[in-house]
Amino acid sequence: MCCSHSFEDRRPQVPSEPMDLSIVKGMKFFDPHVHMSSRTTDDYQAMADAGIVALIEPAFWLGQPRTGIDSFRDYYSSLVGWERFRSSQFGIKHYCTIGLNSREANNEKLAAEVMEILPLFIYKEGVVGIGEIGFDDQTAAEDKYYRLQLELAKEAGLPIQVHTPHRDKKRGTQRSMDIALEHGIDPSMVIIDHNNEETVKEVLDRGFWAAFTIYPFTKMGNERMVEVAKEYGPERIMINSAADWGISDPLAIPKTAALMKLRGISDEAIRLITYSNAITAFAQSGQIDETDFTSPKSIDQSEKFEGNTVLRGGQQPRTDKSSLIIS
Amino acid sequence: MVFPTHKKFKSLDMFDYDAERLRVLITEVSRLNLSPEAWTWLSENLSSDDTKVINTAFAVMPRKTGKSPVQISPDLISNIDQVKPGFTIENWTVDKLGRLCLLLHLDPSGQDKYFKTIENLFLAAEVSELVALYSFLPVFAFPDLWKLRCAEGIRSNIGPVLEAIMYHNPYPEKYLDEKAWNQLILKAFFTDKDINQISGIDERSNSELALTLKDYAYERWAAKRKINPFLWRFTTKFLDESLVDDLKKVLSEGSLREKQAAALTLAHSGFSSASELMKSYPEFLQAIKSNEINWARLAPDNENFN
Repeated sequence: MCCSHSFEDRRPQVPSEPMDLSIVKGMKFFDPHVHMSSRTTDDYQAMADAGIVALIEPAFWLGQPRTGIDSFRDYYSSLVGWERFRSSQFGIKHYCTIGLNSREANNEKLAAEVMEILPLFIYKEGVVGIGEIGFDDQTAAEDKYYRLQLELAKEAGLPIQVHTPHRDKKRGTQRSMDIALEHGIDPSMVIIDHNNEETVKEVLDRGFWAAFTIYPFTKMGNERMVEVAKEYGPERIMINSAADWGISDPLAIPKTAALMKLRGISDEAIRLITYSNAITAFAQSGQIDETDFTSPKSIDQSEKFEGNTVLRGGQQPRTDKSSLIIS
Repeated sequence: MVFPTHKKFKSLDMFDYDAERLRVLITEVSRLNLSPEAWTWLSENLSSDDTKVINTAFAVMPRKTGKSPVQISPDLISNIDQVKPGFTIENWTVDKLGRLCLLLHLDPSGQDKYFKTIENLFLAAEVSELVALYSFLPVFAFPDLWKLRCAEGIRSNIGPVLEAIMYHNPYPEKYLDEKAWNQLILKAFFTDKDINQISGIDERSNSELALTLKDYAYERWAAKRKINPFLWRFTTKFLDESLVDDLKKVLSEGSLREKQAAALTLAHSGFSSASELMKSYPEFLQAIKSNEINWARLAPDNENFN
């Protein structure tokens, strides 16, 4: 969840570096935070072309509040249903995390109903954690539902993807970690998201995973990320795009990998930050099988049918974008 | 382990087949296919009447059972086919089998609760759960209750879900009304499904469907797109002079596969001008007579229909 866009945050244009992903060609990437429901098929194709083989779509809000329990149910079921299928047509393995986001925790009547249906979704295949949960305004209701969902995650043995607030970020991040530890949760099961230079040290020192969102204007830029990687190394650090319906970039990971390579970071460190660490963290759910996206022809057994179809296992036909003719 | 016959499953009017017999067979296949731990877990969850227990067991199934292919003897396959003709668990995975076993143990004596429990699983289902649930349609109690659910499934755009309804599934043929059945067939053409795997296509052909498919064929010709030759099969009993003209065109201009389809349609129609036309194609007539050509054996197709 990334957008409380105030567009005044936009900075003046910095000199641009021509985009050239050829130096990371052949590398595989894993985006552990991207809201594909709000993206287009062009994005899926571009992501697949750039080497993204798998992703995690955390449950978040819709940009405006939901007014009833059924829209939560439909949303969760689309994350494990339609969106997962759509992604598979572009050859990208789709996982998700399920949770009640912090903004909507403030609608208490609805929040209580959401808590009742969460158990129906969190045990489903490919659900790799509870997320994204945490604080936004840091209200009492947010506190309550954060704690309830930490308990749920503990009961289900699932990792937790924690959204940290835009406003009062540093203290909000500390508080999120304090509460997780208070509930007896192992920090290795918690991914603290949307870090910056001010929060990363404490997150790592306390044993949590530190995720960085590369998001234009409002969060980390990737040049800053390169500096963080140089300073802290690759251990327990991962990056994501958090691309959504705001001005964001679903290619943030491959672009940042290319920039890291240009600026002298080792291939092994890039692999950890852009692929392996996220898998290690979320595979604690028992729901990620790396061979699902490393062997290109692998098809879920449960989707295997005799008789071929265009849709099954294969990919959507490409259109020629450079042509004026649409046929 | 012995599975006593439950009184609640005795009432046959809830089912259109011997549900008790299938329940015993599926339970046995499940026991043989699951690890001892998974089987112990599943058997503890069978026969629960607590919806929360059913919901959780259904969702968590692959985490407990894994997803390896079901091993089953040809004898058991044919036993299942005898109990519920057209229904098969061939090519299933064990999580799907475990889910069927769980739902076959639901108590159908309270119709409302039974329906709501399963309907709620549909509402919250992910893709492989949807695939499982739709392929279970023929064995649920109260078969009439699932017509709308089946019709809803046909509106899905998820390939495997459609295939679960269309392929090796005896439910649609038996229970869908004509409109919903026709939608299923149209959807199968629009999504390039393997028509041969749909059961009941000849039995349920109807003039309305033939007319719609004919329009669809003209639309594709106008757009210079190819036509799936299986389309003609649905016009067999409803040929008229203009369709015979169309098929004549296919016989002279089509690929071998298309020509064979046109010939089969004309030869099977019994329509007089079709028989007349076929006299000019003795080699096709001969091949059809000797069963060298039939709908399951057309020349291969090397092109997409797009």
